[in-house]
Amino acid sequence: MNQPILTLSDLAFTYRDAPEPALDQINYRHRRGEFTVIVGETGAGKSTLCRCLNGLIPSFTKGRLEGNLQVAGHRDSERPQVYELARIVGLVFQDFEAQLFSTNVELETAFALENFAVDRDQMQTRVDRALNRVGLSGFEQRDPASLSGGEKQRLAIASVLAGSPSVVVMDEPTTDLDPVGKRDIFKLAQVLRNEIEGIILVEHETEHVLSADRILLMHEGRIVQEGPPGEILADPRNVERLGVRPLQTTVLLSQLGLETDALTIQDAAARIRSAGWCVRESARESLDGARRREPYGERPGATQDETPREPQGESTGESPLPVVHIENLVYRYDESTPAVDGVSLDIAAGEFVALVGQNGCGKTTLAKHLNGLHAPTEGEVQVLGKSTADWTLPELGRRVGYVFQNPDHQIFANTVWDEVAFGARNYGFSEEEVGEKVDGALAETGLTGRDLEDPFNLTRGERQQLAVASVLATDPEILVLDEPTTGLDYHGQVAILNLVRRLNESGRTVVMITHSMWVVAEYADRCIIMSGGRVVQDGDVRTCFSNPELLESLYLEAPEAVRLGYEFGLVARSVKEIADCLERVEE
Amino acid sequence: MVLYIPFDSLLHRLHPSTKIVGLALLLILTVAFQSPWYQLVILAGVLLLARSAGAFKNLRRILPLMITVLVFSVVSWSLFRRVGDPFWSFGLFTLSTESIRFGFAMGFRLEAMLVSGMVFVSCTKVEEFAYGLRAIGLPFAVSFALSLAFRLVPLFFTRIGTVVQAQQARGLDLKSGNVLQRARKYVPLLVPIFVYAIRDTDLLSMALESKGFGMRGRRTEYLSFPFVWRDYAILGLLLILNIAGWLMPVP
Repeated sequence: MNQPILTLSDLAFTYRDAPEPALDQINYRHRRGEFTVIVGETGAGKSTLCRCLNGLIPSFTKGRLEGNLQVAGHRDSERPQVYELARIVGLVFQDFEAQLFSTNVELETAFALENFAVDRDQMQTRVDRALNRVGLSGFEQRDPASLSGGEKQRLAIASVLAGSPSVVVMDEPTTDLDPVGKRDIFKLAQVLRNEIEGIILVEHETEHVLSADRILLMHEGRIVQEGPPGEILADPRNVERLGVRPLQTTVLLSQLGLETDALTIQDAAARIRSAGWCVRESARESLDGARRREPYGERPGATQDETPREPQGESTGESPLPVVHIENLVYRYDESTPAVDGVSLDIAAGEFVALVGQNGCGKTTLAKHLNGLHAPTEGEVQVLGKSTADWTLPELGRRVGYVFQNPDHQIFANTVWDEVAFGARNYGFSEEEVGEKVDGALAETGLTGRDLEDPFNLTRGERQQLAVASVLATDPEILVLDEPTTGLDYHGQVAILNLVRRLNESGRTVVMITHSMWVVAEYADRCIIMSGGRVVQDGDVRTCFSNPELLESLYLEAPEAVRLGYEFGLVARSVKEIADCLERVEE
Repeated sequence: MVLYIPFDSLLHRLHPSTKIVGLALLLILTVAFQSPWYQLVILAGVLLLARSAGAFKNLRRILPLMITVLVFSVVSWSLFRRVGDPFWSFGLFTLSTESIRFGFAMGFRLEAMLVSGMVFVSCTKVEEFAYGLRAIGLPFAVSFALSLAFRLVPLFFTRIGTVVQAQQARGLDLKSGNVLQRARKYVPLLVPIFVYAIRDTDLLSMALESKGFGMRGRRTEYLSFPFVWRDYAILGLLLILNIAGWLMPVP
């Protein structure tokens, strides 16, 4: 009855010139109507597998393919062409910018239909239906460039759906999206599973994948575990070992020594309560007391001989002088609505600030004022006590290190050492000083000993660390990071976040743009939320998360651990904080 | 095109092939006349077309260019072209009624060409342009590649902008130094830009193939434009003007 629509038997693939196979011994049957999620660390073979499913491998990307791929409705052939398989298996890519090319939404959607030679009188209905399914009805004449990130990705899905494939495969469709854009894609997957014969989706974040029928956990080119979410995700240690962030519910349950197979927040909270755990009387106060971390400079552990990082004058103890002072900042790209619209704020030395908000809310535009890449249209930005208009661009760039979102936008040198030295050399340090600074930066980022390697041979996570190192070599007081964790797997994210935390603890002020709300909760001190070019919420992280309705109205969502805390009436930033607040009441 | 202005006008509604052939005929027509007065009439004509197609917004963008072209061609042709009886001369420079006439004719001709081109891009979408080329007989692959190029150029420039900013943030100063030093400074820009371009092209090709691009055999079109009386009328009129212009003695 329930015949498999895709059958992979002993599938293996080795990229041309690669020593190791990217896929090995892949056996999988996709049954009709199933929603399957593939998880696994970078390099586990997830994208390679996706590209095998619609024939891009081996017809577009060359290499050695072994084993067998059977697609229902397609006659078997040795080397199926992409355009033959594409009618049955639709593929959506992560990078929605690079896959859209038309000037309006309906033409983008119709492209596959034109190639499949669908008659004109049917085309209109199928375009309308596809756009309707992804919630883009009424957008037919819009330029794709004018859509938000989430809308662009939904358009990419519609353009695949229009061709009426039996299975839609999505390769990390939500990586570049804000929390609500992410949620919309998963809602859409839920709807689609009932309408087409199968959905296969690659995802990094486990908290969204509970609705799937089946999880494939991949590691080093193999499917190491396969089963329903309750089975695969219930062991947090195993999941983490394989490079995937475990569900926070299971982490808490395991910390409390309980069975970890209650995956949803409600189930987990119920199990914890029924096991006799409840919130300690004094716990709420202690959480409130921990509202703000101590300023780092005044910590007992901090080195005393370090030069004070306050821009001018002496630290008076109570409130350090702001290193960033922004007053009524307005920035316009052209005559249209301003990208930043009347922002005023101060950032004190040593703060760890998270800058959040939905795609296109002005975060990056605001951040680029800090190192002078943008000059205010109106208002003023002062950095280290001096207006950015009075700084020279190179001098400001040296004091405010800016790490761009994608390290590949800047990596060019032949060796790691030269890459890191680039900035320091630009600022005219002597070769001796450059050497010292580069060695220091490599040590801080954990890249010591890798100095002669080719940056392009590093993993994506290491390249991100290299980008941070190359900024550190100029010894900046302020670090601005634009979505440093995007595109990294869990271990890569943790590595870069711990690095940023260490840099912050050594006294540098950090401003980090991010979409990952768990990163905000666990790493930042202060959270600035932007919407439509304005700052709509600015305060310490716990205060921000104490108002879930506000977050919702700003298209943001508290992360899993925080929502788990809500169940106990706590505003906790991490599972550890929740665990610290709970005590077992003996009967 | 990037400068496309959505607007409902006779020109917008024309068949894309009519727009392409019409533009070609218009450009040929401007070459038929030597008299500044005729050129002025043509210029006024295309300005009226621009008005009717709502293209003034785009003309305003290139206004500095238009003024420069006019002033430059009037001044230089008048001074340098040696025709007729010069009534004034100074070294290399001469001025005669004929050279001034010629200068204005050239100026108006270039303006008319600029404005016609602008009108064309204001009322033709990239896809319409590609459709028009196919309707004239160009193969699909060629017309698609052309239209894709139009689409990707602005995208590519944004990518370049990102790389330039990323390197400026690391202290790259493109403004100082001599020519050789400055040339070397482009290496940090070129490598990431190439990486970007290769990666983007690779991804786009995969996305296109995944939607059936490259399939052999028949292909259908989502867009459809009937070729109607107004297309015949416009092309007929331009053809007659051209024949008349080229047959009549040069004024």
